[in-house]
Amino acid sequence: MTAATATASPAIAAAEHANMLETYRDDGPLAAALGHAAGRRVPLPAIALLLIGAFPALAAIVARGADAPRGLVLAAVIWAVLAGGASSGRPLTDPLRWTVPPALRVIEYAGLLWIAHLAGPPALPAVFALLCVVTYHHYDVVYGQRHRGVRPQRWLQAVAGGWDGRLLLACGLMLAGALPAGLFVAAAALAVLFVGQTVAEWRGVARALPSGYDPAAYGDDEDEPEDAA
Amino acid sequence: MVANSGQVVGTAAPVPARALPPLAPATTAVLFATMAAEGGGPAAALPWEDGTVLGRLLEQFADLGVARVHVVTRAAWAPALEPLLGASARLHVSEDAAGDLGALARLARASAGPLIVAYGEIVTQREVLAGLLADPRIGTGVLTTTRALARPFAWRTRARAGKVVAAASSYHAVRVPNATFLGVLKVGAPDRVRLIEVVERLTELVRGPLPPAWEEELAAKGERWRRWLAVTAIVRAGGEAPPPEARDDLPLSPVDEAELERRLAHARDDVTALVLVGLVRAGTSVGLSRLRGLFWARPLSDAAVREAREQIEDHDEARALLDATVKSSDGFFTTFFVSPYSKYIARWAARRGLTPNQVTLASIAVGVVAAAGFATGERAGLVAGAVLLQVAFTLDCVDGQLARYTRTFSRFGAWLDSIFDRTKEYLIFAGLAIGASRAGDPVWGLATAALALQTTRHAVDFSYPAIRRQRLTGIAQPPIEEPLDGPRRAREANDDPELPGEAAPPEERLPLSRRVLAAWRRGDHSRRIVWVKKIVAFPIGERFAALSLTAALFSPRTTFLVLLAWGGFAALYILSGRLLRSLAR
Repeated sequence: MTAATATASPAIAAAEHANMLETYRDDGPLAAALGHAAGRRVPLPAIALLLIGAFPALAAIVARGADAPRGLVLAAVIWAVLAGGASSGRPLTDPLRWTVPPALRVIEYAGLLWIAHLAGPPALPAVFALLCVVTYHHYDVVYGQRHRGVRPQRWLQAVAGGWDGRLLLACGLMLAGALPAGLFVAAAALAVLFVGQTVAEWRGVARALPSGYDPAAYGDDEDEPEDAA
Repeated sequence: MVANSGQVVGTAAPVPARALPPLAPATTAVLFATMAAEGGGPAAALPWEDGTVLGRLLEQFADLGVARVHVVTRAAWAPALEPLLGASARLHVSEDAAGDLGALARLARASAGPLIVAYGEIVTQREVLAGLLADPRIGTGVLTTTRALARPFAWRTRARAGKVVAAASSYHAVRVPNATFLGVLKVGAPDRVRLIEVVERLTELVRGPLPPAWEEELAAKGERWRRWLAVTAIVRAGGEAPPPEARDDLPLSPVDEAELERRLAHARDDVTALVLVGLVRAGTSVGLSRLRGLFWARPLSDAAVREAREQIEDHDEARALLDATVKSSDGFFTTFFVSPYSKYIARWAARRGLTPNQVTLASIAVGVVAAAGFATGERAGLVAGAVLLQVAFTLDCVDGQLARYTRTFSRFGAWLDSIFDRTKEYLIFAGLAIGASRAGDPVWGLATAALALQTTRHAVDFSYPAIRRQRLTGIAQPPIEEPLDGPRRAREANDDPELPGEAAPPEERLPLSRRVLAAWRRGDHSRRIVWVKKIVAFPIGERFAALSLTAALFSPRTTFLVLLAWGGFAALYILSGRLLRSLAR
């Protein structure tokens, strides 16, 4: 770690901050295609589309709780994927654009938990396992860009299905009656994929610090609540 | 914190016992010894113990492993300074500021590693310089303090999000300054090309007739200094400060008149501050290294040197290094129940030669054992798990503190620390859920909900600052010919210490969201309220403490309900604050 060799540019150049939020979205191929096709025709901010997308599922949970019929669940998830997918085509320029990645996390995690809940208690440990793997990926998308200076690979995001693909997969598994086992298999497969990719990426990165590399400058050093305004 | 009686702390050497490589290798320093002492002659040659102020500074640079030091001075002072230089330092003579800048450009072109540009008459401690020179996280940066200082010729700056966004010089002013530049600038190797461009541009500007706006700014500063000297003299003599409108034609004592003359004469020679302004205006990312309660002075008279010698003894370097290992942004539990002792573990680990990554791995290992304890589902296992979780959390704090204490940072270490923190937390969730199932009360749904909530809260913490950085990197800098860093507003372009009795600016009528925010921030004047806000936000220390306590005393179900309730409330609280801020813009 000598200063003489520290000639590489900082891990994340200033200009790249503009698209960092885009990479936090974690869209699958389906959501990306929907955004491409419909994004321009819906003149709403991305977060508005996500709220519209989540509304039927929320209403169903409030009205019917655990007992929602499977057809309703499937319809609500498909609606959320359609609206959320369309939101991927919207530019992230409005003041509330930072709410988009957390909103997508809520839609995916809550949707998976809802599906598992309907499938019965044995599915719950399976969905816990799947969420452990998925959240690992979501953390690594952030920490990987920060510390390795590597953007998430497109093929990896595509193979992992994105938030949209995983929601539809869980729905399909529920309808096929393959829930606990199917989720465990998905969790195991994704774990191999995500951790394998992390290891591969670390092998290709110089461990030495580039000059001016300062993770603390991201201002979110372990959930620090209030920043100096 | 009250120290135990009879406890002797802070007397150990600041450096770990094992031999270290030079802290600032391949570094070149350029010191400007162009400031006159009160009685004439260079201030850098003022006596300090057996040597001089400059000699002391050169020794400190040599001790830090700085490869080469260049001292720039005036021809008349060369004979006084020449004998002070050791084998690794060289003297350069120049006529004026343009000559100083020319020398700097030449030396920058001839050097390879980081470049230090500094005043030659600074008295400070080795640890202060090490904080800037040896911190690999600071590429280009300056030494600053936010503390009130008696500051002859230490210019104000404004910093945001750890970067200098505006700096002052003899010809430049800063609106709403919040820090002081302490005359030491480090330019990282990647920024050297830009430094040379900036210095060449500045050379052109100071060689010809100065830009008229610069002359006006310097004249305005001279007027402010005159008023300040006059009012200070009256107040010191026990008089009452005259009202602001009656301060223009106050008489100065001969001593103060000489002081003003000296300030104005030197103002045109202060190229160090000018270079900093040039870099900031050129859009360079300039970081900060703080004084951390240590000593800094720029003595310009024998009396000032004597004062500095008395005061420097009161500043304990070993203690400051140890205290600086603790993050100031930590939560309440971490700050008051872990860091007070974990920093001593970090120092012990440094002396044993342990690396931060070894401590990180030890922490995750203890975390796995704690999760296994929780997974037994029996009271003894839950209590053991709770205790081990606290051990793991302490080690979690130690790894970062050890990295800061030994200044060993690595990208992989930072990643490992972050990802293992999360892994540990969710492993504990899994352990608790397994234990609950064994005890006949399955809570997998609650565990999944807690996991989802915490990850979503982190997603907010990642995304919100990302757009703040977008805004910061988008700040346009005015050209170097412009004295102000932005449009001038009433009473803001004041980079001098506040005068007594100045009127406050009139209140503006603000939109509702801004008024709510302003009211919210008013509470931040009280440290107690700041801590309450931090506790409400449920940071990692509080989460782990809540986990340990509820699991040891009650059941996993209680633990997850507490995590969901407290975490849910924290999420709502943080979200509403940030939504307000976003809409207030």
